[in-house]
Formats: sequence, structure tokens, C-alpha cells
Amino acid sequence: MTTCVWCQRAFPVSLTLPEILAWRPLPQPPLCPSCQDRLTPITGNRCPDCGRQQATRTVCHDCERWQAVPLKNHALFRYDAGMKAYMQQYKFQGDYALRKALQAPLSRALSRQTYDILVPIPIDQQTWRTRGFNQVTGWLRDQPYYQALAVKDDHKKRPQSAKTRAERLLTPQPFQLVEQVAPILIGQRVLLLDDVYTTGRTLRHAADQIYLGGAKAVTSLTLAR
Amino acid sequence: MNELSEFFGRRMPADRVIPELGDGQVAVQRIGQRYQCQRCQQWLAETDRLPNGAWYCRQCLQMGRLTSQTKLYTIPEPNRFPIPAASRLTWAGKLSADQQRAAEAIYRQVQQGKDQLLWAVTGAGKTEIVYPALDWALTRGWRVAWVSPRVDVCLELAPRIHAAFRDVSQCLLYGEQTVPYAYSQLTICTTHQLLRFERAFDWIVVDEVDAFPLATSPLLQGAITRAEKETGQHLYLTATPGEALQREIRRQTLAVTYLPLRYHGFLLPRLQVRLAWRWRQMLAKQRLPKGLVRQLQRYGRQGQRFLLFVPHVRDLPLVMAALDLAGIRGGASVHAADHDRTAKVQAMRDQRVSFLVTTTILERGVTFPNIAVVILGGDDAVFSTAALVQIAGRAGRSADFPKGEVTCYVQSQTRTIRRAQVMIDRLNRQGKQRGGHT
Ligand SMILES: [Zn+2]
Ligand SMILES: [Zn+2]
Ligand SMILES: [Zn+2]
Repeated sequence: MTTCVWCQRAFPVSLTLPEILAWRPLPQPPLCPSCQDRLTPITGNRCPDCGRQQATRTVCHDCERWQAVPLKNHALFRYDAGMKAYMQQYKFQGDYALRKALQAPLSRALSRQTYDILVPIPIDQQTWRTRGFNQVTGWLRDQPYYQALAVKDDHKKRPQSAKTRAERLLTPQPFQLVEQVAPILIGQRVLLLDDVYTTGRTLRHAADQIYLGGAKAVTSLTLAR
Repeated sequence: MNELSEFFGRRMPADRVIPELGDGQVAVQRIGQRYQCQRCQQWLAETDRLPNGAWYCRQCLQMGRLTSQTKLYTIPEPNRFPIPAASRLTWAGKLSADQQRAAEAIYRQVQQGKDQLLWAVTGAGKTEIVYPALDWALTRGWRVAWVSPRVDVCLELAPRIHAAFRDVSQCLLYGEQTVPYAYSQLTICTTHQLLRFERAFDWIVVDEVDAFPLATSPLLQGAITRAEKETGQHLYLTATPGEALQREIRRQTLAVTYLPLRYHGFLLPRLQVRLAWRWRQMLAKQRLPKGLVRQLQRYGRQGQRFLLFVPHVRDLPLVMAALDLAGIRGGASVHAADHDRTAKVQAMRDQRVSFLVTTTILERGVTFPNIAVVILGGDDAVFSTAALVQIAGRAGRSADFPKGEVTCYVQSQTRTIRRAQVMIDRLNRQGKQRGGHT
């Protein structure tokens, strides 16, 4: 038995024969089967630009509007009711322990991406004080990353979730390069990491700065779309 | 923005500096080698730490996260309520002779400052029995909480109590409430919400004291104790007191008032047990015991509406499919996490569906006037003695239909079922002595 990090109920761990025979510590899944079911992995056809699940493999309606500023995103899970409930507890209620639920899928996804440098989307100072953690780096275990971006001091904080789509698209550049870290970007392939791809505005602002810093290519990975 | 009155008799974090609140108390404190949450009193795990160095409590996270960097503030309860010249009771109903006797006992004992238990059968009308004592408490300017571990019970109670004491300030608190908190003389809330209170109440009425999760949760029991003033007292309401309460009764630390008869004077329906061989294996093949099918088809012909209880949520789709195959249609299934739960219960009330298939969540609080009750798999461990008595108590509630049928299909007779039958029979014997009819 092990305890589910989300619902905190105990559940039996079912092991495969190779796992039992392997001379290794047994894997402890963080989520019970029913909590695991609340998260829907994106499978099959998806938009080649933003990674959303859809019936076809053509660029989706939202992405058509971004043709001038291309950015390829890969997303792991659908941003449905279950993922919203997860984010609500992890990010907004600040339940840092829930980071464990997505560490393994993220680790697998990162190993399939081609990049030289991983740059997580930063949080501002105020959020750091109140939330106490960056929700994006919380999902990383021992993967190296560079905090090459910081939120500008003058960036007025209003939660993205409180804005309409039109407002979000007009958001001014919130990021700046971190002087001591930025030189590492020169000539590199950079992977940006964020929690949710909603309009793509935030990631494109980040990508703009990373290109400015001299990166050769920028792609992104988000937990949800 | 916080109002000062939000801190009366409570433990709350503040959203700004309020000089009147004083220094406050650190919400998550180091005690010895460990950290303890000062709201829910639970100990933190070694891993409950944030990258910024703060410790945080996961146990009461749903009420807003507390960390070792948060402070909690309290203003001692000032009882800032108007003292009226006359009764505050605006309830026009009338108590039966039996209810009246119980009401008087509670009224007397509350004046004597006693902790009490009202042991009343399901459908005895226990809420109204408390009104005279509650009226007395409110006219003295007492701050009172009426709490239940079950949110359904709170939601059902709030409008009734509001109508019964129209001129008393009241607020309803539960996890998903949207109305903001307001300092009120009468608080109706889930036991969880009491975690935010500190020596606030002169009297706490605990409805369904034996219900899950209160009965097994030291956290919630502690919340009640701390929400009560040192000079305060409490009244437990139950139809099925558990072992711990029965021990308190024997030790006479609780004053007990019995009410073995329903308000309409009829005895409780008995729990009929019928054998159903291998019902679980049959259910896996979407089939139900023959006797059960015949019984439900008869209900269908008679237009008798019914509740069918099953042990687990995962049984619901199978039972629904089996009913459909047997031609028993026009019902719905409902369980605790069901998003349409309220709507489905309402549909049953409005007679838009003819039956509900459900798990133990509908065991209490929910009443339908003329209903037959069937339990499939009453020998499953999820059905405690208290749950079975409560489930049986869904039948025969209304004066127009005082006799209800309660049937329990089992593979084997268990001690829990036996005990439930014994409890019902014992209450009925007492009821008969008081002139109850079958
Ligand atoms: Zn779980
Ligand atoms: Zn797209
Ligand atoms: Zn706590």
C-alpha cells in the first residue's frame, strides 16, 4: 500500500513481474488509479503548433492567428476539468506536494525533446513570497535548467486567469533576460517550460527574449493545453 | 478586506495590518522536533516544506493554506448581539405531545448548563424539538452554532432554521459557499468550518453526530471542542449513537433525552432480510436476484417509488444496466462525487424520476414522502449498523404514508444487520409503550 499524494487515500500498488524481480527499489506511483484517471494525456492527432488534441493534424484556428510569430509547442495533458482541479490545488492553493504527481510524465517527455538548454517560465517576486515555489520547476527532479528569464519589476500583476482572451493577447512583455545567465543562450537550442498553454502569448514573449539573447532555436513544452 | 468582526471568536489570517488585532500567533509552529498547524492541530510531515523555507499544512489546505510565515488572529467573542424583550421564535408549527416532552427536557437541561444528547428515531422531527431551547439561548444573547458533518444536512436545515428564527442574524458556512462570512448570532455550518472558530459558541448543536466523517475524525472532534467557549455546552442529535456515545451515556457525562416515536406516532418500518445467493457474481453479468427484480417490477406496477442502495459507486452502472435489461426504467443513479447530485435528488422530489439507485450518501437528511427502500448487498462492510438504521429510516416518513417497506438483500446474515434490526426493534418496543401504532 502507498498513499495517493492527491486524495491522500491509501491504495495497493500493482507490480509487474519484471518490477518484482528487478533488484531495485520498487516504484511508488504518486497517484491512485482514480486520481490518475482525472488527468487525460494528449494522444493521437494534435495541432502541430500548440499541441492541442484535435481531430486533424492541421494548424488549429487559434494558431492560424499566430502565423507571423511561429512557436512549436508540445503539451502533455488536456486542460480539462481534472487538470484544472489539479492546477487549482497545486498552484492556487499552493499544495507543493502535488508536484510529485507530474514529475515522472514530465521527465519522460523531456527525454524525448531535442534541446540544449531548458528554461522554465519564471514567477514574480510577489508570487515567490506568497506561493513559496515556482510551479514549473517543482515538476523537475534533477534535470538541469537555467533561470535565464525573470519577471520585470514593473510588470503589474493581474492573474492571467482573470483576463479575457483579447486582454491576454495585448499583455505587454513581462520578462527580461537575467544578465548573469543570458550568455549561455548564445547559439543554443532552447526549450521553454510552462504549466498551461492558453493563448500562447506568454510563451511567445519569453521566446522573443530568448532569441534576443542569441538562441538558435526556441521550442516549448507545457504540462497542459 | 477583513472586517474586525471576522475575528470575533475565530482564528483567521489577516490580509493587511490591523493594529487592533495585536501580534497574533504563528499559524504553523515548531514544537519540539516537529511542526504543528495551529488551526487544525495536525502535525506536519517532514516533506511539507516549500522551497522558500516555509512549512505548510496540507490537512486544512482547502480552507486556505497556512504556513510558518502566516499569522492567525483572534478577538475574544464579545457576543455583540441585541437582547430582545420577547421570544425570537417565528415558527408556527406545533409539537406532538411526545415531541413536546422531549423539547421541555432539553429546555430544562440547557438552562442547567448540561452537555446533552437527543436520541430520536429517524423522522421524529428532532430539529423542531430543539427550537424552544434554542429560542431561550438566543434571547439571552448566546452565540450558537448548529453543525453537521454533512453538507446536505446543513443545506437542508439552513432555510428551515432561518424561517423559524427570522429576526436572528444567521450565516451558513460550508466548503463551496459563495456568500461571504458575516458575524452572526446563529451559525449553521459543516463541522469542518469550526476549525476557523476559537471559543466562540455558548452552545453547539451537533446534528448527525454519528455520521461520517465526524465519528472517526479526531480532527473534527477537536474542532468542536475548541469552537465551544470554556463556559459553553453542546447538544448532540442522533438516531443511531455509536459505541463511544453510548459509553458516555452510561457514565452519565451526557444528559439523554429519548424520543422513540416518529412525529406521526407510527413505529419504524422493520428491516426485512432476504437471501440473495451470489448477487455479486450475478451483478457482474448485469443480472439481479430474481426476488429483487420481482419486487421492483411490482413497485413499478403499483407506481410505488423507491430508493435502491448499493455498496459501491462502481456497482451503480452495473445495477442500472441490469434494471434496464429487466425492463425497470425511469430512474437515475447518484453518488457522492456526482456533479448532478442535487439536480437528481430534486428530480426525485419533483417525482420526475421514479427511483434512485445510490450509495450510502443518501442515508441521511434526504426525505421523500412515500418511498420504499431496498438495499442490495446489505452485508457489505460499507453498511454500518448506523447506516442501515438510517437507510431504513428513509421509509414511512410522512404522516400520509407512515408504513414503508424496507428490504435488504444479502448473501449472508451479518452482525451489523442483526444489530440494526435489534436497534429498530428496541426503539419500537419503547415506542409501543408510549402508544405508537404499527
Ligand atoms: Zn488519489
Ligand atoms: Zn494550435
Ligand atoms: Zn492545518
